[in-house]
Amino acid sequence: MFTKLTGRLFLVLAIISLNCFFLTAQNSVVQKFESSNIYAGIEVGSKGVKLSFVELDKKASEEGEFKILKDTSVNTDFISFTTATYQATLAALTNLYQFAIKQNRIPSANVFTAVSSGVSIQAEKEDKKNWIDQLINAFKTDNNEPDRKVTIIDVKEEARLSHLGIVPEARRYNTFLIDIGSGNTKGGYFPYDNTKDFKLFQLTWGTKSAANAAEKKLGTDNSIDNFNSQLSRVLAGAEENEIVYAVNASGAFPKSDNIAFSGGIAWAVATLVAPELNENAVIPVSYDDVLQFSEKLAKNPGLYSDYYIVKTMPENITDLDKLAKDVKQVNKVFDQRALLSGTGLLLKIMRQFDGVVERKKFYLVKNGAVGWISAYVNQHSVK
Amino acid sequence: MRDTKSLLLLLVSLLLVLVSFVLIWTWGYNFYAKDQNQKTATTIVAPDSARIAATVRDSLQKLYTATLHELDIQLDSTLTNSDSLKYQLDAKLAEFYRLRSEIVALLKNRSNSNNFTDAKQKIDELQRKVDDLKDKNQVVDSENKKLTEVLNQISSADRNAKPVINAKTNTSEKLNPPYALFTATDLRLAAVSADEEKETETTQAEKADKFNGSFTVMNFNSQLTNAEMMVVVLKPDGKVLKSSGWDSGTFNTAEGKKIYSYKFNFSYTRGEAKRLLFSLKADGLTKGNYTMEVYQNGQVIGRVVKTLS
Repeated sequence: MFTKLTGRLFLVLAIISLNCFFLTAQNSVVQKFESSNIYAGIEVGSKGVKLSFVELDKKASEEGEFKILKDTSVNTDFISFTTATYQATLAALTNLYQFAIKQNRIPSANVFTAVSSGVSIQAEKEDKKNWIDQLINAFKTDNNEPDRKVTIIDVKEEARLSHLGIVPEARRYNTFLIDIGSGNTKGGYFPYDNTKDFKLFQLTWGTKSAANAAEKKLGTDNSIDNFNSQLSRVLAGAEENEIVYAVNASGAFPKSDNIAFSGGIAWAVATLVAPELNENAVIPVSYDDVLQFSEKLAKNPGLYSDYYIVKTMPENITDLDKLAKDVKQVNKVFDQRALLSGTGLLLKIMRQFDGVVERKKFYLVKNGAVGWISAYVNQHSVK
Repeated sequence: MRDTKSLLLLLVSLLLVLVSFVLIWTWGYNFYAKDQNQKTATTIVAPDSARIAATVRDSLQKLYTATLHELDIQLDSTLTNSDSLKYQLDAKLAEFYRLRSEIVALLKNRSNSNNFTDAKQKIDELQRKVDDLKDKNQVVDSENKKLTEVLNQISSADRNAKPVINAKTNTSEKLNPPYALFTATDLRLAAVSADEEKETETTQAEKADKFNGSFTVMNFNSQLTNAEMMVVVLKPDGKVLKSSGWDSGTFNTAEGKKIYSYKFNFSYTRGEAKRLLFSLKADGLTKGNYTMEVYQNGQVIGRVVKTLS
């Protein structure tokens, strides 16, 4: 009887404490975000709708730097262009907008909305550009904001904004940023010490397209060894026919000291290769680090499970609970084959910059997803 | 007449003997010539046999690589197995200790109301756990033996391979044990409060915006033209101070992987006293001791402590 009563008492106390915590937390967030230098950017992307809260102080805006306070996303798969995904995207866009202006009290003028280049390219391919127009009009009507600007960004502008959003001022003019996506790769650099001229770099290969091409060659042997052999063939072809040419044509080698990679695979490899630096948004790596990772992954993927990584981590070096959660998330998004494909593509690109005489510094960027929308907010708020 | 006949017969016999000699000589010559031809033919075949030998060597090399690869896989799987076994063993040991303390508590409490059937059950359970542990221990032992065997195989394969395959590497490894080639002197670490116009040194944690550090390195022993040096700044809580992901990273030391706060890559000429400077942005510093360590080739070559109040 006593045990039951004590249990109930504890439960009530826990609920009260939790409520108190949420109320305090919410108040502090609202107070912070109400400030005039907090902005929000909402992006309709190929996979879903993303919201980022960006803080710009006076000094930071002069230097073109900013701080990403929080980001969240809702997966809606807009580029499937079905009624269901359209409705889901519209709902996500409206809800995130309302979340920014009502719950976080950000003035509507400080909320920026845009559609990514991936969506517009796919819509053009499938002759579905009217779906984007319809989405924008419905969003304006639903929120009673007929004058709201929803910009459709082109690929070069998106790559330029990503560079501004990810690479710090001090490394702006000597860093080549490459975003490895699921279906393609894009990026570039600023060749002339100004942020207007941008040299675009593009590849038709991405993590998923490389994996798909290897899968198609498997035949009846579905083993990981066969997958690896076929992947090597696919990537050798990609290197010979496209990557070498694209890197040479970009003229990036002599102008860049740093080569930074963003995109899902950069986030995944960074998390698994350097778990000690889990708190870092960017981690430095070498070609050999990534090669070693790829070989171990093919041989024994268990070495990169959340259990094993946390177990082998020295104490007090990083937050182990967060690390376990992040590694689990990586393994949920990328299976062994997707990781091998992305890493293989990453290595092929890295190899172009790993010369005998001069070696570039390589970085993997984890928070690349919020890069361009944050830079878009920064640029438009300064104006 | 009879004499003429005998002479004729004698002449025919002599002719036959002569013909026989000629035939025997021709046969002998042919035999000798054939032998010579065979020898020449063998000499021509020689490059083919070299190729065969090379193929055999290549296949042996492949076999060797495959064996090493297999051993590597075995080692990885054995390591994983031994890890999981250790985990199971830990769990069993925890159960064992729990039961033991429960039994001790029951036996201590010798009141009449106490039910000794419970104690007996627990003792039986404990006995089962002990047997389980014994079994598990045997499995761990056998896994350990397996692991040692695999390690021995690898090291013996490595010992055999090194002189043949990479004798040069072996020599260079012997010549370069991991020791620091540089010395670091005049180490300075200063907390700085920075406003728009100037920077002022401070000893107060709440006023500090960043750390400025500097030290001089020197090397008389090596012809190194490019050097790499890591700076680790430890906060009072023992964690590494990192200003940005672009500056920090990891490096290997004898004690394992470590995080650095800042890395220098610089060109160097022997005997030069090179002053290296760095700056680390630091928000929300706490009071206490900040330790700056300079590493080269995985070894500490300098250390300085700065106290902030």
